[in-house]
Amino acid sequence: MAFEKQLEELRQKKERALMMGGPEKIKKQHDAGKYTARERIDKLLDGGSFDEIGMLSHSDMPGMAHKSPADGKVGGYGLINGRPVGVLAADFTVLGATSSRVAGRKEHDIRSTADRHGFPVIYLGEAGGARMPDIMGSAGLASYGGGGRDTFLQLMSRVRRTPLVTAILGLCYGEPTWMACLADFVVMVKGTAMGVSGPRILSIALGEEITDEELGGWELHAKVTGMTDRTAENEDECFKIIRDYLDYMPSHNEEVPPAKEVPEGSGENMSKILDIIPEKRNRAYDMNRVIECIVDRESLFPIKPLFGQTAITSLARVDGKVVGIVANQPRVNSGAMDTDGIEKVISFLCLCDSFNIPLIFLEDIPGFLVGCAAERKRVGAHVMNFMNALGLVTVPKITIIMRKAYGMAFWNMCGSGSGADSIVAWPTAEMSFVDPVIAANVVYGATAAATPEEKEERIAKMAEGTDPYGAAGLHYIQDVIDPRETRNHIIKVLRRTRDFSKTKGIGEHKLANWPTKF
Amino acid sequence: MAIDIKAPMPGIIMEILVDEGYTVRRDDELLILEAMKMENPIRSPEDGVVKTILVRKKDFVDTDQIIMSLE
Repeated sequence: MAFEKQLEELRQKKERALMMGGPEKIKKQHDAGKYTARERIDKLLDGGSFDEIGMLSHSDMPGMAHKSPADGKVGGYGLINGRPVGVLAADFTVLGATSSRVAGRKEHDIRSTADRHGFPVIYLGEAGGARMPDIMGSAGLASYGGGGRDTFLQLMSRVRRTPLVTAILGLCYGEPTWMACLADFVVMVKGTAMGVSGPRILSIALGEEITDEELGGWELHAKVTGMTDRTAENEDECFKIIRDYLDYMPSHNEEVPPAKEVPEGSGENMSKILDIIPEKRNRAYDMNRVIECIVDRESLFPIKPLFGQTAITSLARVDGKVVGIVANQPRVNSGAMDTDGIEKVISFLCLCDSFNIPLIFLEDIPGFLVGCAAERKRVGAHVMNFMNALGLVTVPKITIIMRKAYGMAFWNMCGSGSGADSIVAWPTAEMSFVDPVIAANVVYGATAAATPEEKEERIAKMAEGTDPYGAAGLHYIQDVIDPRETRNHIIKVLRRTRDFSKTKGIGEHKLANWPTKF
Repeated sequence: MAIDIKAPMPGIIMEILVDEGYTVRRDDELLILEAMKMENPIRSPEDGVVKTILVRKKDFVDTDQIIMSLE
């Protein structure tokens, strides 16, 4: 055979790259219940679709080339549910998957190609932290900027044009954390951790003794910081969640997300809504059960379900097409939205506006959660940030006032004058500035001498006109509808504002520039 | 296997809708917790039998306090 020697050399080099950090390190990875970078890519992508680039890359440090297959980051392209994606996987068996200059070039290559041609990138993170001594000294440090005027920014900042997903698959301190904070969607596997600095650094630098779990475990990020969108029991589940998520996303911002066939039985439970909503005005219920009736069967895909639970943000499909649901949750704090809930909603508005996903607001809110603690968390600033974001949304917006709509929160939930393409109420709606009891107190004074009968009368006076007909009669809202008609109403509105709109459902993506994390 | 029912938020027990020994089904209302001026039904997470009720009407409960256990 011609060129036998050259082909043999190529074969050997590729074989060496496939061995990663060697059998011993691979065994360690498996013993810890984890997959290797290459196994992860195979499990994430459609079978056999991985098309690697940079397999022959290695460290640029003297004497390190043979110790750094693929320079610790396996990368390339492939398919998920038949659509192209870019993928980067940290290889923990090679120098602890530390960040390096050469792998940085590979990352830049994949990220910019995905951006140019319009497909998502998935970053499978483990460990991280800059490789030492590569980054030490002035030249070492500055070299990590990539050498161009804005090469660092191209990796460490983004405008949302194609989806970016990050998985946290190990103890991540450094690059995976930055990638998670830049991503549209983050999945964390239980038992992993995410932070800027790990316990070892903290122990040396600050004398702080803390476990990985306490410092940055899944519970912290799923419930307290909201920096992860979903949690997985294991890596297999993590990859399934990512594949499912991408089914709700367009490949890029110049198309709408793929449509699916409408599952049989969708909409069948609409009449059950009347049994879920309690007739007593101060009785709580689970908003999720209402949403499940409205959307296509089994199509709910909650985002940050354990964080800021006074609000629900969820992707779903209605009539086979993707929508974003923003709803209040009366079961938590009576649905009074707190600052965590507000931040969660804002980040969801950014996601939907960036990727042409219409928004449906299901309103049952007694107001924002106020008080000393809320003021210290800058609740006022959060409420106005929320309005600013709402003002920049350019995808269709549909508002359904289900029950309570009080005060400023009425407008934040896309009330009258807040840019809704369609705004209707249910006959159960109760709309006013504040609760009648509070209003009576403010108007007539709390200390004024009054008999119990007089007090009742004053409250009743303040409760007058809270039904939706006042607003509907003056065309501040467009209609009052039977709750059982909600699904059909949404489908009809989306046909004219998305499917047959002159925009064809492609928004202006003004929120694509909004910070990716809060 | 015993299942502990915990208070999801601080509040006052308004009504207890079951007695010890009652058979309950998943999603049945067990008691009503008043919190934030709202009546919050606490539902059974599973089918079972009410083993012990650890609170009384008008009791104040804190988040995660065990209020009932099922079997």
